[in-house]
Amino acid sequence: MNATRDLRVPICGWLLAAALNCTPLLGADPLSAPPVPKPAPAHRSEWAAALRKPVPESIADLAAIEQHVKALLPRVSPAVVAVEVGYGSGSGVVVSSNGLVLTAGHVAGRAGRSVHFTFPDGKVAHGKTLGLDADTDSGLMLITDPGPWPCVPMGDFEDVRLGDWVLALGHPGGFDLQRSLVARLGRVIGFPEGAIQTDCTISPGDSGGPLVDMAGHVIGIHTAISGPTSENYHVAINDYYEAWDHLTHGPQTTDLVANPRAYIGASGVDDPAGCRITEVESNSPAARAGLKAGDIVLEVEQRRIPVAAVFRRWIAEAQPGETLHLEVKRGDDHLKLEVQVETPPGPR
Amino acid sequence: MIARHFLRRSLALACLQLFVAAAALGRQTGADEQLPRSRYRSGEQTLRAFAPVAAATRFSIIKLEVDDTPVALGAVVDTNGLAITKASELKPGKLTCWLASDAHADAEVIARDESADVALVRVHATGLKPIQWSDEHVHPGQWAITPGIAPTPHAIGVVSTLPRRIRAQRALIGVQFDFSTNVPRIEEVLPGLGAEEAGLKAGDVVTALNGAAVTNREQIVERLRGFRAGETVKVRVQRGTGSFEAQIRMMAPSAEWLAGELDAPSGRDRLVGEVSLRAEGFEQVIEHDTVLHPWLCGGPLVDLDGKAIGLNIARASRVSTYALPTSLVKRIVKDLEAKAQKAASTK
Repeated sequence: MNATRDLRVPICGWLLAAALNCTPLLGADPLSAPPVPKPAPAHRSEWAAALRKPVPESIADLAAIEQHVKALLPRVSPAVVAVEVGYGSGSGVVVSSNGLVLTAGHVAGRAGRSVHFTFPDGKVAHGKTLGLDADTDSGLMLITDPGPWPCVPMGDFEDVRLGDWVLALGHPGGFDLQRSLVARLGRVIGFPEGAIQTDCTISPGDSGGPLVDMAGHVIGIHTAISGPTSENYHVAINDYYEAWDHLTHGPQTTDLVANPRAYIGASGVDDPAGCRITEVESNSPAARAGLKAGDIVLEVEQRRIPVAAVFRRWIAEAQPGETLHLEVKRGDDHLKLEVQVETPPGPR
Repeated sequence: MIARHFLRRSLALACLQLFVAAAALGRQTGADEQLPRSRYRSGEQTLRAFAPVAAATRFSIIKLEVDDTPVALGAVVDTNGLAITKASELKPGKLTCWLASDAHADAEVIARDESADVALVRVHATGLKPIQWSDEHVHPGQWAITPGIAPTPHAIGVVSTLPRRIRAQRALIGVQFDFSTNVPRIEEVLPGLGAEEAGLKAGDVVTALNGAAVTNREQIVERLRGFRAGETVKVRVQRGTGSFEAQIRMMAPSAEWLAGELDAPSGRDRLVGEVSLRAEGFEQVIEHDTVLHPWLCGGPLVDLDGKAIGLNIARASRVSTYALPTSLVKRIVKDLEAKAQKAASTK
């Protein structure tokens, strides 16, 4: 199926323009790194008036929003994939017809891991992780099976405004053929720390799925939820453009790549209670601290760890020599461990 | 870069601390601009635009209470005061309802479909209008509105998925029996489930279920197999030399909860606070992204024309709600009416 062609069925002029931007992002030589994509402009001035009002005022406004969203969904949905990497799962979105997939950094993990993709219609494809930027939680993957693949263009963060209506898409909790893609509608409610915050009701299993604007462009990637169901976080699309070199040339050594100066020698995955440690290198700071595979890290410095990415971020941001206090669950026991962060050993 | 790291960390912490970071670096345009809550998707101002939908439907909706505590909404299905609602939310007690006219009326359950979790209720009031059912197919992305008896809807969302089946999970009373004896003695009461809620304790011995005597564990497991999450079972308990009867609500906790991977407090919230007691085992549901209190299920889910596209049947997770689609609801109503008539004629 050629999605670029699908996307060319215009809702109106701007979508046609957008569809033409969804082109191969890899160079002619498949071994060369994909160049930084160009943001697709949103052409806001062409949007229906109801989409630009501070708040919908009438049934007519609501009907206009509904009509727009219903028309947009079938055009962007085919590119939203469920991804399985190692034991973890998440979502992603294909942004080029030859298979570049945006996801969250904590879904991708280190570069070079193999990935299993599932499209909303149940079709599967194989590929690999290209890299991540743990600082922004952005991640990039590539479908290595031959395309073309359905795709959605990457948008322009400069075109995003407070109050914009947005669609949050994904396969929360992994792929489910009976259910398939889950769509949620919300508004942009803020830009804390350069991320996008919306009231789209996403769940922890949504990580890596796209936030799509009313032009049908990817403007963010789901990264974290907060206590209130209506205040959740998405990596802003500009972070992908800025970290493109990182994302396409990710280090392939360890999960904890965020800052190679900080190292404890343990890797972990998401767990309902925190970060479940999957591997502890022998003679590493983590091993000396008594951390073991199977342990669940609940807290660092008395702060709860909701997902593995937050634990990685703590490590990444620690200074070598600094001691981190961990609260760890091992079976039914709760342990307090102290791990001293070090600089990583030489090339492994 | 250090500042950026610091802010990134504070963002991560903000997520954990369950508050929104107050100090924001933000974009060049307006450093800490934040959309006023009233303009959120489910904020007051946004909900006000949906008022005509509530106006068109509120006289077809009832707000049910058991012993003066709100338990569910209901959808009026005829002009004689028949309404349907979510069966498993109707705890034993005095059933009454509030109407859009501000009238307070008595109500009684006249038929139940345990498998669909729908109850047919007679409301002793006049002037109720039947809800209009939509004949159109639902589409992901369309508005899904949950009106109540008030002039603005309780909540709104959009249809998230096409209709699908939700399999049933095993329901439990929440005890572990002592395996060293054949006597059904409770060794452990699992936190957050029905047995704990009903006050059962380790050492208690179960002697009867719904009036029928039981003498061993296998009998109990066998008898409980027929119950669904949300149903109540009467359990006779012997404690020391005394004996009493407890009403225990069956629950269907998730596998991750049972495996002890969720700690008790959050597991408990998940089970008894945010999510409906019975949130699985449905022939077909439409999933929508409305965050709906469990006690606001049971009423119609309507489109922008005020026509019902389904009946809200369960808050399924922290961020999703299920509705039985109209075609299924119509069939259930027909069956329930026939059941009620049969029961009335045999009286």
